[in-house]
Amino acid sequence: MAEFEKPEGRKKKLNRREFLVGSGAALAAGAIAAGTPVAAKTSSKNSYPKSEAYIVYDSRVCWGCQSCMFACSAAHYGEANPALSRIQIIRDAPSFTTYPNDIVMALCRQCVTPLCVENCPTGAAHIDTENGNIRVIDQDKCIGCKKCIQMCPQRPHRTVWNPIIKKSTKCDLCIDAPYWSKKGGPDGEPACVTICPAKALKLVKTAPTQEDIKGYDVDMAPPDPKLPSGPAKKKPAPKS
Amino acid sequence: MANGFTGKIARVNLTTKEISTIDTEKYKEFGGGYGIGAAIFWDLAVEPGEWDLKDPFDPHHVLPIMAGTLAATGVPGAGRTSICGLSPETFPTSEFCRGNFGGRFATMLKLAGWDGIVVEGMADSPVWINIINDQIRIEDASELWGTDTWETQKRIAAMVGGRTRYGEEWMEIDKSYSTGIPQILCIGPVGEARSRLAALITGSGVSGRVGGHGAVFGAKKLKAISVIGTQSIKMADAKGVMDARLWHMTNGNITTGSFGPAKPGSASCNPCLRADRRRNSFYGGETMCVDQFWLETAEPREQDLAAEALMRYGASGWGAHFVGLFLSDIPGAPEFFNKQVPVETGIGWYIKYLYEIGELGPGRKIDSAPLPMEEWGSLQFRKAFLDAVSRRVGIGDALAEGAFHAAEKWGRLEEDLENGALRMPAWGAVGHWTLPTAEWAYNYLLGAGDPSWHGLVGAVGPSQDGTPIEKKLEALSKKTIPYTDDIFMFNYAWKGKEAWKTGLYSEHKAKEVAFTRYYASFWNESMAFCEMFLPSIMDITPEIEMKYYKAVTGRNDSFEDTMRVGQKIWTMERAIRVMHGRSRSTEVFAPFMYRPGAGCMTFFGGVPIYEEGKWRTDEAPDMYLDRQGVEDFKTHFYKLEGWDKENGWPTRKTLEGYGMKYVADTMEKKGKLGA
Repeated sequence: MAEFEKPEGRKKKLNRREFLVGSGAALAAGAIAAGTPVAAKTSSKNSYPKSEAYIVYDSRVCWGCQSCMFACSAAHYGEANPALSRIQIIRDAPSFTTYPNDIVMALCRQCVTPLCVENCPTGAAHIDTENGNIRVIDQDKCIGCKKCIQMCPQRPHRTVWNPIIKKSTKCDLCIDAPYWSKKGGPDGEPACVTICPAKALKLVKTAPTQEDIKGYDVDMAPPDPKLPSGPAKKKPAPKS
Repeated sequence: MANGFTGKIARVNLTTKEISTIDTEKYKEFGGGYGIGAAIFWDLAVEPGEWDLKDPFDPHHVLPIMAGTLAATGVPGAGRTSICGLSPETFPTSEFCRGNFGGRFATMLKLAGWDGIVVEGMADSPVWINIINDQIRIEDASELWGTDTWETQKRIAAMVGGRTRYGEEWMEIDKSYSTGIPQILCIGPVGEARSRLAALITGSGVSGRVGGHGAVFGAKKLKAISVIGTQSIKMADAKGVMDARLWHMTNGNITTGSFGPAKPGSASCNPCLRADRRRNSFYGGETMCVDQFWLETAEPREQDLAAEALMRYGASGWGAHFVGLFLSDIPGAPEFFNKQVPVETGIGWYIKYLYEIGELGPGRKIDSAPLPMEEWGSLQFRKAFLDAVSRRVGIGDALAEGAFHAAEKWGRLEEDLENGALRMPAWGAVGHWTLPTAEWAYNYLLGAGDPSWHGLVGAVGPSQDGTPIEKKLEALSKKTIPYTDDIFMFNYAWKGKEAWKTGLYSEHKAKEVAFTRYYASFWNESMAFCEMFLPSIMDITPEIEMKYYKAVTGRNDSFEDTMRVGQKIWTMERAIRVMHGRSRSTEVFAPFMYRPGAGCMTFFGGVPIYEEGKWRTDEAPDMYLDRQGVEDFKTHFYKLEGWDKENGWPTRKTLEGYGMKYVADTMEKKGKLGA
């Protein structure tokens, strides 16, 4: 536990990728999660067949309800546990940060250049050519070295450590989701996408631009309403 | 442990600093959540007989804070936390009172491995409880004491998170990892002052506002409980839970609360005031669900700031209520309402009344300092009110005790109860919709304050599609298990012989009231569904509830079985109240409820009334209650529940019928067992 420190307040304007809760902003980066590298490699000389499907999202439409996280853990493990979910919706749940800066949607990008695959020493992380080239991890081959977690270029990392089986996991678009009654995969219905009550997730066939989050965080809002309802209309003045 | 549960409940004694566990399995017959909480209260607070059950600030007071059975399983709308204990808010006695609140505290509590946390004892200096998975520590809160609820949560989140950059990194917890943020339940300065107006706050705007339990935290010198966890909740049929969600999305509307679609910028029930907060109905309400309306008559920006002040100080929007937006001309109401009778009044309205009659003001008999009376009701006034209460300065010391205690101190209690200026229906607690929705009033009386349960109020209103009232009520009466096929339970006739034969004072009305208590006790307070989310009584209830329940727990109970558990919980609640003094003689409404002018405007199109062989829908603004009629209703209700009609105490036969022989034995020893 950190020693008690008085908050210093936010020093920069927050964006959706960077919201921090209150005094957390005063604390330096570092010490977490399986040795995340300070600067992960983002390119490769190798080329890989592109995934035939990607999950994109709209962080303006998302409620932050984390239904997708419960659905992911339930679909894959038959248990409810957001910490095991391969999709992480990090919501400033106390809501001290204001919309739309109060959420980070951390989904596996099915990267065109999958560093998790490239750096896996055993071939556990691989391209599933029989299922639309989805990037997956073969649990039988995974030795729990966490290399795929360390090399994931996203923050927070999208490969997920499962402390129960002591292996890495990642989004497989529900091709291996024994507790999900629908078919997953590039032509199927991943649990998170189908369960999302806000319709903030979508399965697409074209690879989004890899440069930043814009290709993945897309406009999916229905025509009305797109943004939160405005301030309440003026109420009648008190009559007594 | 059974599916849907973690299997253990934390027990934290702030006096001895002892931390132990309670086996959830022992209490499984009470359903979960509040049901288990009430049973634990009996075992730890009532059964030992070491306490007279009078003072909520006594160190013996036990406060069970429980997560619902369906919380943290992916079931939508079912994430509420229940809390029960003696209420500092009620008057003249501190009644056993239950409340629940939304937000993510219950979900995180279960993910940390706990079905609830029971707080007892009293710390000798400020503390907060730090729960990280199975580890529980009592931490020093000296430097948090005095901070508002937002600041408290931000500081604790930083302390728990250490160097974690929330939103960018995973936090390591016991060799597992989470991107989550601690969920924190805390009090503000109003709670620290042990004000009976105090709420428990989690997040920026979720308030446990019923009962004034924030003052109990203050008395125990408990500033906050923080929890973060990474564990799993087992379900009997995970696929079934998600199939139920898909069915819900197709056959109901999972995105909808009672009043419209939930979307960014709207809660499940009420429109969002603070358009800059993201909301959803998933956790059973999240952020400013009702307290956003504390200053609903002002400009939006002022409404925002008032709600923020209310939250930061940690005051209950009900305990510190001023006056609602809905005003109407109620026949027979006292002239001082000026034909603008509110649906509910609170301590704020009472201050204004005393000011206008010249009793309260600067330098007057009741000195109003430091309140700026000329700005009554404004944002500035409310901030001054909260500050005065939290520091107990000037008039704030009396106001911190609530309207009834203040009136008693000022020597005005009898007069203002008699003339209706203290317009709280019973127990000195703010309530709304008590008439003409009489089942609400009866729930208020038989419980301990506002039931805030809307399950029937819309359903008994006029149909939107032209269906005759009688046909609509026939369909409704199929749903009110276990008391089905009696449409007269929906008859709100309040005068004449029909009121006694089939209306408000009849055995039929007793069934309606009983149904609402059983449903709320099990489904809303123990399973943790937000009452604005379910029931959806005219369509998918009880089908959807049972789909979720069976998939999570694997139990083969019928809906009627669950309602029987609800009745058991309700009976346990009754037994606890009887042990602290509840009886027929104490169960009476305030005088104004028995006089013309007791009613309020209807919001749901009126209530059905059967008279002279015909049904009609009537807004019944002139409704008031007959004193003998209420007594006759109580006789019917006591009989229905298996309580002694003389004093309203449960009988041995009733208690043993629920497997609560031990409760009957204790009540008998204390001379409190019904005959």
